Amino acid sequence: MSQGDPIKIYREVELRRSSLVLGWSEDGGNLGRKATDYLNWKLKGQEFAEIEPEDFFSLGGVAIKGNLAQFPESKFYACQEHELVVFQSGSPGAEWYKFLNSVLDVAEHHGRVKELYILGAMLSFSAHTAPRELLAVVNSAEIKEVLSQYDLVKDMDYQTPPGERPTLNSFLLWIAKGRNIPGISLWVPIPFYLAAMEDAQAQKKVLSFLNERLDLKIDFSDLDQEIREQNELLARVRSRFPQIDDYINRLESNLMLSEEENGELIKKVEDFLREGG
Amino acid sequence: MGIRLYQEPQLESPILVASWPGIGNIGIIAVDTLKGILEAEEFGEIEPWDFFYPKRVLIRKGVLEYLEFPSSKFYFKRMEGKDIIFFIGEEQPTEGGRMYAEGRKAYRMANLVLDVAEKFKCHRVYTSGAAVALTHHTTKPRVWAVPNSASLIPEIRGYGNTVLMSDIEGRGGHGNITGLNGLLLGAAKKRGFEAICLMGEIPVYLQGLPLSYPKASKSVLEVLNHSLKIEVNLDKLDESDQKVERRIEEFYQQIPSEIREQLDRLKHVTYAQPAEPGPITEEEEKGIMEDVEKFFKKRGGGD
Repeated sequence: MSQGDPIKIYREVELRRSSLVLGWSEDGGNLGRKATDYLNWKLKGQEFAEIEPEDFFSLGGVAIKGNLAQFPESKFYACQEHELVVFQSGSPGAEWYKFLNSVLDVAEHHGRVKELYILGAMLSFSAHTAPRELLAVVNSAEIKEVLSQYDLVKDMDYQTPPGERPTLNSFLLWIAKGRNIPGISLWVPIPFYLAAMEDAQAQKKVLSFLNERLDLKIDFSDLDQEIREQNELLARVRSRFPQIDDYINRLESNLMLSEEENGELIKKVEDFLREGG
Repeated sequence: MGIRLYQEPQLESPILVASWPGIGNIGIIAVDTLKGILEAEEFGEIEPWDFFYPKRVLIRKGVLEYLEFPSSKFYFKRMEGKDIIFFIGEEQPTEGGRMYAEGRKAYRMANLVLDVAEKFKCHRVYTSGAAVALTHHTTKPRVWAVPNSASLIPEIRGYGNTVLMSDIEGRGGHGNITGLNGLLLGAAKKRGFEAICLMGEIPVYLQGLPLSYPKASKSVLEVLNHSLKIEVNLDKLDESDQKVERRIEEFYQQIPSEIREQLDRLKHVTYAQPAEPGPITEEEEKGIMEDVEKFFKKRGGGD
């Protein structure tokens, strides 16, 4: 148990009326991590605070990913010129209420945050050639009204199915509502066979919305190049493996694959993308 | 974070009866049934968000309407000098993916429940759970009673169909009660409340099934009724028991016959002292346990 305040502020930032963009590291298609990295890179985000992990993460050892030892990090970055705070973190495994309130404490008291954007990926059984959609769940009717001018799916009905639990994003949205912070949880459906990899198209979809909404003036030419490269790789995997092409054709025709076929498609695509084609 | 009372009823020297889910949901079904029969009135709750992850979200037309958490509620019933406060926790606050509550959060919740007991000057606390036992599902479950004070033992000896840990062969008066149904007993002792945990027996081979075991809940309620000197009709539990019994029989028939034959012998096990020499020797009892353990995952003690 932490002996003190889990929030560490490294420097004060000069923000007056900012927005918070939050991404989780373990997201499908690595969306949360990649999109927040991209914002920090493009908008010159500077780290200014973090939440210490000991109350919130299992610290029984370290995970290894890509040959490297990992350690849970929960960091805040300020993009001062754009009135933006970026928060990047692993999903906590305990004390969720305290953790999420700590996030909003830093955002409100140090970042002067007035609006919250939570990034999330969801698995889709569509092909990667289908245009990505962007779904929005909000915590008040007022913010929904504000979003009416954007290209979002805004009328989703959902109830947690038996045996499942709500997402951390819903939990945060609810806490933000209690603190009168308008919040938007953004969901991009990602083709299931890209979920363990990256999906540049999904990143662009959510980043384009943020760019427009927050007037960030980002030039996406590098991300467009990444999308072209990914599409070329996926076209090559289709031409090299006719069976994979058939599976993707069927998905494009809105047909379902069997569990075994899904597994084969995932494995072939992942192996191919990891080897760089 | 804490307790939220919607009203402060005037109660006369009440007792507190508390339970959380556990093996076979024996305790919580017993307490919930009694609360229902007596038409106890809800009067407060423990705020959930610091203890629990939410259990359900409702999103309508893109707007998050509400988030629902596991409940931890207080109810009261005035009973002419035998007033009762009920506490029912829908989940045990667990940490680190464990099945039962333990550690800081569990202790905090136990103390919040006792804060209410103290506020309303409760003179006794009852908790209830399950006792995993070498018994057969066709026999009437007994109730294992664990008090937190030696002064309660003579009273417990007067209850029917009830055993103390020292009555159970091979236990030497020892054992453990996992989770909050046990922890509350200890926390009550620390704060000077007398308390008794009543655990209905569940056969060892049923402990891992996702089934309730209302037959044991009924045994617990019979003891509780005697202790509280109240009379309530428990027919409702017989109806639930009949439904569960059919599912247990179906499951029982799926067990390989050589193990089932061993389990059948549990119908004749009498291991509470004093006991007549039973038709099963100690060695045979060991053999049955080994067979059962081979076939079913073994889990510990009561809850």
